[in-house]
This record gives sequence, structure tokens and C-alpha cells, in this order.
Amino acid sequence: MSSAADPLPRKTLPLPASLRRLMADRMGAAGAFIVLFLLAIAIIAPWIAPYDPLKINVKAKLLAPSWEHWAGTDHLGRDTLSRLILGTRNALWIALTATGLAGVIGMILGLIAGYGPRWIDGILVLLLDSLSSLPMIMFALAVITVLGPGTQTLMLVIVLVSIPGYARLIRAQVLTLKNADFIQAERVMGASLPRILLVHLLPNVVGPLVIVLSMDVPVVIMLEAGLSYLNLGVKPPEPSWGNMLYDGYTSLRQQPSLVIAAGIPLILATLGFTFLGEGLRDALDPKLQKRLP
Amino acid sequence: MKAATPRWNTDRRSLLKAGGAFIAAMTTGLPNLAWAQDGKTLRLRVSADFQSIDPYSMVGEIDDILQRCCTVTLVRLPDMREGTEVIPYAAAQYEWTSPTTLAFTLHEGLKWSGDHGPVTAEDVKFSFERLAGSDSAWAYQFEKLDHVEVTDERSGVLHLSEPFRPFEVIALPYYGGHIVCKAATEAAGGQFGTEFPAQCGPYLFDTWEQNAKITLKRNPDWPLEAPAFDTVEFYIVSDDQAALLAWEADAFDFTRIAVADFAGVTANPPANSALIEAPSTRYAWLTINLQAPQLQDERIRRAIQLAYDGEAVLEGVYNGLTSRATGVIQTGANYARAKNIYDQRDVEKAQALLAEAGAEGLTLQLYCLTDQNSLSTAQIIQASLSEAGITIEIQPVEDAAYWALGDKTAGDQYKSIELVLMNFAGGIEPTENLVWFRPDQIGVYNWSSFDSPEYEELYQKALTEADSAKRKEMFNKMEDLMEASGGFIFICFEPYLAIHDSGLKPVILADGHPDPTRFTAG
Repeated sequence: MSSAADPLPRKTLPLPASLRRLMADRMGAAGAFIVLFLLAIAIIAPWIAPYDPLKINVKAKLLAPSWEHWAGTDHLGRDTLSRLILGTRNALWIALTATGLAGVIGMILGLIAGYGPRWIDGILVLLLDSLSSLPMIMFALAVITVLGPGTQTLMLVIVLVSIPGYARLIRAQVLTLKNADFIQAERVMGASLPRILLVHLLPNVVGPLVIVLSMDVPVVIMLEAGLSYLNLGVKPPEPSWGNMLYDGYTSLRQQPSLVIAAGIPLILATLGFTFLGEGLRDALDPKLQKRLP
Repeated sequence: MKAATPRWNTDRRSLLKAGGAFIAAMTTGLPNLAWAQDGKTLRLRVSADFQSIDPYSMVGEIDDILQRCCTVTLVRLPDMREGTEVIPYAAAQYEWTSPTTLAFTLHEGLKWSGDHGPVTAEDVKFSFERLAGSDSAWAYQFEKLDHVEVTDERSGVLHLSEPFRPFEVIALPYYGGHIVCKAATEAAGGQFGTEFPAQCGPYLFDTWEQNAKITLKRNPDWPLEAPAFDTVEFYIVSDDQAALLAWEADAFDFTRIAVADFAGVTANPPANSALIEAPSTRYAWLTINLQAPQLQDERIRRAIQLAYDGEAVLEGVYNGLTSRATGVIQTGANYARAKNIYDQRDVEKAQALLAEAGAEGLTLQLYCLTDQNSLSTAQIIQASLSEAGITIEIQPVEDAAYWALGDKTAGDQYKSIELVLMNFAGGIEPTENLVWFRPDQIGVYNWSSFDSPEYEELYQKALTEADSAKRKEMFNKMEDLMEASGGFIFICFEPYLAIHDSGLKPVILADGHPDPTRFTAG
């Protein structure tokens, strides 16, 4: 935090050093590895899926894992591994896009609320407080009931429920920095508003947001999986870890491997993003330099 | 039903039971443990809570079951596996005195709870006449009832407007056939909801924990055959898989199970269990809305019928436990149609019809409920129609939104919905199933917007036709009309699957609802 006695703005550490610190942290490195692995799978999913993940073959339903179908087949005879791979793409696409979008919107609103006139701040805070007072699951179910389930609805829900947290974080950061010496100096020197916001304030407040965003990704993945489990998220026949878990649950007695197969990537993604988030927090925050090499 | 002496076994069920006990103790407190300890409690699982126990406004399964336990009907049906001939129940005497008159005399000693006195012929008259011609969903049961003549306190005659023998099967054993207390119902304002104003059945309503449990206690004043259990508890569990696990944990004695679980349970039957597998009267079909802008061309509807892969649905969703329906009359029944008009899949012809109609690249919305059967069926339909070049977007919807789709009181959406997966609990009399596709049901339950004057004419004739061969001809023609309109794909009659303790003898009625008053031990 900057203060009158501390004329220099606090900046996050340069990327290479932060990266070195992240990789030096075993949990952070493991998280980064898992996330990169999942990202790679998501990107090349269509090329590595051994079968068409949507192809129904009822004659081959609920097959146990074998050399032909490494993770078996589901209740409609679709290859589970192929669906998991495509499910990875869907899960990450929804989680990263929605979280990223919410982060950008939250950041803009936070900057406006924190640096703008007090009446704008008042209105925005009221709106954000109202939005964040809604219970997330109930709000999600209400929106889905009105708009119908689907990927877009799911993303809209995630964006809407996530914005307040990010906006409030940025607003708080901006409020602490807006009267800092370096900002005052810029103002006296006649710097334009966009320059102050984008060149001076933004780099100083974006670090905590990145950390929170990375920590929120698993929450969003779980939310998507939860709603898809209830068949209120990703619409069939598109694979999602959540609706695959549901399919596995309904076939639990005949083929328990389905639930296990669908649960593993969910656990991996949750752990990966959580470790990465914590590693990033340690690496980007100069106050937590305990592991500096 | 619970054995009096609990015994520990190291099998799956015992383990689940112990786990269930622990979880129940942790979550609900020991006094509320799910299983009974006295051996005289019958515990049944139902899939939803009740909504109305007034025959006038009742909706679902449990509504009817509660009325069966706490009120009476003139006659009742036997277990669905033992025939469909009605058996006198509250009626000590019951006789068709002419093709349009049915005389009855009530048993002596039937009396209402509270101070409402005996069950009288006047109560029967009130119960039936308030439904006939009303806006109740069950009014159709009494369409042919002209009036009820009361001849003395316990006797009366049901006068029909025309000869209609199926009346005794359609109207009397269930739903609107439950007799209510005239004085108590009038005192309650003419209708009631979740509380009986007066009861007269083998059981009396005791307690209700919303969305969790309903308890009934034996009626000490019941004069007819005594039920086998002192207490009946209904546990509300919506999910079939969860219900099966709970049954294994000995949380209840009887539950329906999902098709997906049946094979597993059959292969490894839990100890002390018995399975029921029987054809049910619940029929499933695909609605194709004739009014929808994209489906007004008959060639497109025909293409959908031809591209539909019925075998894949039966195998993929129903594990081959049922066969393709040929209409809405139960497969194998006397009146069932021999075959569908379009019973052979022909993707090439479907493609040709679409091309002829200029509908290549057609995209349609298919609505279904969010249960696994519906979603799996929808996905197979999606895959099979895609082979003909029709893109299906599946729209899973929750119960409330689903039932509003084709409801004209909810707006004009009923005109534009395209495809909907539907299933209804049917009756044993064909007209009970055919009634929903009459023209006056458009915007109510006829979501295909199937509007056929010939169908309506046949329906009216079939109601009063006594000759079975002629009735069959009429019913089959009606189903031909339905299919030829392009508004329907008949999927199947769903199998009835249930599991219960081997020491229990359940009675299941033709509509698939259990009759707890006739469950026996051993």
C-alpha cells in the first residue's frame, strides 16, 4: 500500500522473478503444471479424442474400461475418454471466459467507482451490494428458469455473480492509491484521466485481481459442473464433467468407473487452479517473499 | 414393513443400513430415524409430495394414494397383475340394472371422522355431481353421468345419459371416484386442499412433514376388512437412484426403481428383496406440433417419423424391457393396434421428403424434462434425426416450466413449441388415454394441436359402443388418424419396476400407484 511517507508506488514484482518464485514453490509449480496440462488438452481436444464424443452406439453401452475404450463407455455407448477430453474444453472455456469477462467488467466498474465522483461510487456500490446479496445458487436457478439452460446462460450467471467481488476488490485498491503521491504528481503534471487510470492505477491494482481470478476458476468449474449435474448447465449431448458425473451416478450400479472417470478431472482442475492461485499469491505479493531464492 | 428382531449381516444392505442410521442420526436426530421398530409400520417411497387431496383438484400419484387410504370408492380395481375387473368396495351391493343405470347400496357402518355421521348415498351424489360438467381435470370421468338418484340413506342409482359400460372402470375406482363428505366439504367452502374435512378409510391422516414424510394411522372405526399395518409412512424421495440406495439402507420397504438400475439389481439381487417387473399403463410419445411454423408442412412431420430410430430408444433407454408402442392403448391389450403405419425407419425417404419440402438444414427445438430417461431419449432422437439432416436442439426444462409449455392459459407458446417428449399415466379403458387428444384438449394436454373432427366423432361413438370388435376398430382408426397427422411418434409403454422386502406382498393398481390398504406381510 502506498502512503504519503512512501512516495514510490508499490509495484508487483517483474514477471520473470515472479515466475521463478512460482516455480520454486512446489505447490505452485504443481498447480501450474496441472493447469497447463488441462489447457493443452482443451486446445487440442478435437485432435486427440479417440472417438467422436457425441456418437451414440447403444449396442456398446456401459462397457468397462478396456484397450479399445480406456475409460469405458457411457449409458448411450459413447466413449467416455473422448467425452472427458471434450468436457475439459467446455469446462475451461466456460470457466476462463466467464471469469475473465467478469474480471474485466469488475475491474472497469471498480476503477470507475474508486476514482470517479462520489455519487457514481454510491450508485455502483449500491448495485454491486444488491447483486452480491443474492444467494448464488438460487440466483443461478432463477436465471436458468427464465432463460433456459445452456452454456450462454451459464456464463451469464457466472459473470453476474462474480462481478461484484472483483469490482469491490479493485475499488478498494483504487481508493487506497488515488491520493498517493505519484498519482497526485501525475495529476499536477496534467496527465489525462485515461493515462492515470490505465498507466498508473491499473498496473498497481491488477495483481490481486489476477490472484483472485485464478482462485475463482475452480469455484466456477464446480458451479458449472453442479448445474450441469442437475441438467441445468451444458445442454446434452455436449459433454460436461457435471453431466458426465450425473450419467455416471445413474449408471453407478452397472458401471462405477464412469463416476470415477468424470470425477478425476474435476478434482484435478480444482486442485490445479487452487494451487496455482496460492502460488501466484505468494509469488506476486512482495510481503510474502519467504520463499525468495 | 420391518422384522421385529433386527439382525446384523455383513452384506451390502447391512452396511448401507448402518451408514444410513449414522447419517440419519447425525442429520435428523435419533428420534427421527427412518425405519420403524415395531414391525407394524409400512414404509413406502413416493416421488413427490402431495398437492391436493380433494378429488376435485387432485394432481398426482400421492394425492390419489392418500385418498385411497383415507376415503372410500364404490368399487376398486385388483392388483394390475390380476386383471381389471372392478370389485365392490364401499358398495355392499352393486349392480347394473340397465345399460344406463347402476344401483348401489353402501356398507353399513361406514362413518366419517368427526361428527359428520355415516357415509350416505347423498355423499355419493354430491361427490360425483360436483365433478360432472365442472372445470375439474377429472370431469371427463363423469361425462356420461346424468345424475345420481338417492333412494335411501345408503342406496342410490347412478343414471347415465347413454349406455357406457366403461363408466365403472373410468369413474368409480379412483381419482374423481373417491367419495367425500358432503356436509364437511360444504362447510369447507365446497373444495379443500391439503386437509381432509372428514375421513372414512382404512387409515386416518396423521402427520405431514412437507417434502419429507406423510404418516397415516389405522382408523379404529373402519368397519370393513382391516389393513395389515397400523401405520403407513410415505417417504418423499424424488430421485430413483437415491431411493434405491435408501431402500438398501432399509429406509423403506417398497420403492419404484429406475430402468437403469434394474439390470444391476436383477444381476445381484439384494438379500431379502423381491422385484416387480410388469407392463405399465404409462405411455411415452414424441409430440410434433402441427401448429408450429416450421412443422406445418406434412412432409416435414413425416420425415421426422421416418427418421426416428425406435429400436435405439428401446435398447438405449429401456434396456429392451419394453416394446414399441403402436398407440396410446397399452401394447398387448385387446384394443391395441397391431402396428404403426410408419414402423420402418427410412432415412433416405426422410431426406427426400425434406428436400421436396425445401427444408434442408432444418433446426428444431426438442423440449423434455431433466430426468435421465427423457434426456437419453432426446439424445437418441437427436442423433437419429441428424442422419436425415435435421438438427435438434435439446431444451431440458424443469417440471413447472415444462407443464406450462403447452398450456394455453400460460400464453401463446403452445402454438409454437415444436417437439416435446411426453408421457402420461394411462388407464385401462382406452378412452381414458384417447381423451387427451381430442380437439378441445389443444392448449391443455393435446400439445400436437391434433385437430380432427373425425377423431372426435369416433371418440364419442366409442364411448357408447358396446360391441368390443367395433370399439377396437374405432380405437385403431383413432390411432391411425393420430399417426397419419404426423403429430405423434409412439415410443413405448414404460415398464413398471419396483423393489420391496421379500416379506411384503404389495398391491399395485393399473395406473401404477400402490394401494397401501391392501399390502400384506408375508
